[in-house]
Amino acid sequence: MRGEDMGYTKEEKAMIWIDSFSPDYAKKARLLQAFRDPYAVAEQFFARSEEIGGIVGERVLEEMRASLEGGANELFSAYRSQNIVCVTCFSALYPDLLRAIENPPFVLYCKGDVSLLQERKFAVVGSRRTLANVLQRTERIAEELSRAIVIVSGLADGGDTAALSGALRGGKAISVLAFGFSHVYPESNRALLEKVIKNGLAVSEYVPSQPAMKYNFPARNRIIAGLSEGVLVVSGGEKSGTRITAGYAYDYGRDVFAFPYNIGEETGVCCNRLIKDYAKLTENSVDIASAFGINLTEKEPEPLTRTEELVLSHIGASPTHTSEIAAKTGMKEAELSPVLMLLCMKKRIVSCGGNRWGKVK
Amino acid sequence: MLSKVMSFALSGLEGVPVTAETDINNGLPSYELVGLPDAAVKESRERVRSALKNSGRKFPLSKITVNLAPADIKKEGSAFDLAIAVGILKATEQLKADCGGVVFLGELALDGALRAVSGILPLLISAKAAGYKKFVIPAENAAEASYIEGIEVYAANNLTQAIDHLSGLNPLPAVPVRAYERGTKGEYKFDMAYVKGQATAKRALEVAVSGGHNILLIGPPGTGKTMLARCIPGIMPDMTFEEALEVTKIHSVAGILGSGGIVDVRPFRSPHHTATTVSMCGGGTRAVKPGEISLAHHGVLFLDEMPEYHRSTLEALRQPLEDGVITVTRSGGAVTFPANFMLCASMNPCPCGNYGSADRVCTCTPAAIRKYRSRVSGPLLDRIDIQVEVDSVKYDDLAAAALEESSAAVKRRVERAREIQRERFNSPMTNSDMGEKELKACCALDKECEDILRMSFESLKLSARARSRIIKVARTIADMAGSANIRPEHILEAVSYRKYDNMA
Repeated sequence: MRGEDMGYTKEEKAMIWIDSFSPDYAKKARLLQAFRDPYAVAEQFFARSEEIGGIVGERVLEEMRASLEGGANELFSAYRSQNIVCVTCFSALYPDLLRAIENPPFVLYCKGDVSLLQERKFAVVGSRRTLANVLQRTERIAEELSRAIVIVSGLADGGDTAALSGALRGGKAISVLAFGFSHVYPESNRALLEKVIKNGLAVSEYVPSQPAMKYNFPARNRIIAGLSEGVLVVSGGEKSGTRITAGYAYDYGRDVFAFPYNIGEETGVCCNRLIKDYAKLTENSVDIASAFGINLTEKEPEPLTRTEELVLSHIGASPTHTSEIAAKTGMKEAELSPVLMLLCMKKRIVSCGGNRWGKVK
Repeated sequence: MLSKVMSFALSGLEGVPVTAETDINNGLPSYELVGLPDAAVKESRERVRSALKNSGRKFPLSKITVNLAPADIKKEGSAFDLAIAVGILKATEQLKADCGGVVFLGELALDGALRAVSGILPLLISAKAAGYKKFVIPAENAAEASYIEGIEVYAANNLTQAIDHLSGLNPLPAVPVRAYERGTKGEYKFDMAYVKGQATAKRALEVAVSGGHNILLIGPPGTGKTMLARCIPGIMPDMTFEEALEVTKIHSVAGILGSGGIVDVRPFRSPHHTATTVSMCGGGTRAVKPGEISLAHHGVLFLDEMPEYHRSTLEALRQPLEDGVITVTRSGGAVTFPANFMLCASMNPCPCGNYGSADRVCTCTPAAIRKYRSRVSGPLLDRIDIQVEVDSVKYDDLAAAALEESSAAVKRRVERAREIQRERFNSPMTNSDMGEKELKACCALDKECEDILRMSFESLKLSARARSRIIKVARTIADMAGSANIRPEHILEAVSYRKYDNMA
């Protein structure tokens, strides 16, 4: 347990060392309960190896013995070479909100800006099956909120992706993974994860070698809920994992927000049920900001020309068709399209598909 | 006795001179046809025998040897029937006239009538270049042959007419030469005036045709993508005689020529998505036939529901899109066909088709949309300059108030824009054909334009390779506006035609 000083205390080092052997949360909990202190596990390893073996099993015991005899330093240099910072439950960096939950992770493997753990955090989660216009709204809300608060989400396609990319545009984001850093799931979000690591923080309770397993995702959801002051559920079907996240948040006493959906809209069944039960109906970022007493500081909008103002005044919050704008402004479509593109670039409107344009707030 | 009669064989779009040599010898009656004939050529024996008999001539009861020289080229089809029949008549001295310098083409019916053959136009053009001046062809092919000046073409309805013409008993009049009238006969079934609304898509079509850009129409099912595409030939400039002749040659070889003789309307080809690579690019077991991309030469190739086509078929389009020609190599030899077409493709925005729809909800996951779109490869999309959305919205009331423009009006503007390009490049080149050199010379951007372009790349997440595409399209839009320089609004409009890049 000697060697290079990583800035970890001896408890932290011992904790990281123990955590590297078994992905089983219950066994680690029992081990710590028996020894009170993780360092004691290493210190009294040979003396009480029978007891330890009784908890973790023979195979893990042998692995621990081999590692301890080798000095166990490879572990820390391996993490350091992968730029992984371990934040244990003994660290000052470990967020208090997370510590307060029923079964907080012992070690958070982090890549990116670890100081974000101490900032105020808010989770935005959604299903993989999310309507395109909801994705757009999610991205926008995440972007607006991220100017004041760090956005926490997963890494799945759809809702999570929209939340993360919106947040990265406005501020910082934390992505909580259900697998170790040697893996990426879904593969298509590899670039997004890179971006999160570069401009935010990626967190996992699993050692790098742990692949994505189905049963890890619900466990991961407790961290998303645990890290955050509140959770916004943007979409979710009958069996969506977002319901689990919302359930954890409710259990932990955090605020739950959800988008309302039309009757019969399958991708939003879960949201409507949450609203019925305990979630706050949410349409925009102000609904959330007011609940937390956050001031959303608007970025100074770029000045518009008179033509742009005119065109913008004819675009509603619900998407407006190009020909409708043309008819109302009396402009030809050919003259109109450059103006619309400029407004798009100035982030005043978005293309909603089918030649329809929606006003951004 | 021996006789020699000239004919021509088709090799790709070229004609190759073939001499039908006939020798009659004493011996057991037999008929030998040599010179690598295929089944259709071999069967000519039966047609020639019956045609001669039913035209009141004699088929000799001797040992007949027919050689189609040069003997090492494979001969296909039924166009040698007439030459073989005339050769036998001459060898048996039933016909004494001199047939030197006359080229015979045509298929015989059992009653002696002459049937049309494919490829008359390219054969005549090659024969003319080889110095032949006189031709006897089936009357059904006369219209096609009438556009070539400087040759004498005699169109016979049957073998008797041909023989009487040669012997001087009843000479046929030469087929009169017709002048090509540009753009007067061409009629297109689809007119822009019938397409209600869709102003954005219509404008994009006009830009695409003006600059010779390929176009991709993205829209939910049943929004009129196909109808819009069918309007494209009608707003393209009229074909010149040279262009019409090229197209006619290809269609003649493919055997799909109508009765009009020359193709004076721009072709519109829409192969089904089950089309194979060979049917698309050309091929065949021995004689190579042109594929859909060559049949669309100087016209439009429309790929409806592009992601449904076989990947390999789509990828095969990349090289001809770049070069304007396709070289097909087969066991029978390599043949180059022109394939300078405008590509118009259509696709749904997502698997369920409702992405961006006003009244229906899209239920596709992002992964499903990505998978659907990845069926069209980046390099192919790279060759499509303009991507535009076709609406699902019905604006009947708006459309009723607005007066729709006719194709003829759009065409006049297109021709003006093309004229500007012709002057600039001093060739029939269009803006989409510009290389790096021309881009540098003709598409200088001032600082304001550069800034706009950079800003659009940053905020709209465009791919880097879209840059030169955008500039080319902006050049076309500037030409349409009659502006010598590219202005910011031209750049912005061009950027708006990158829908595919910044969707989802």
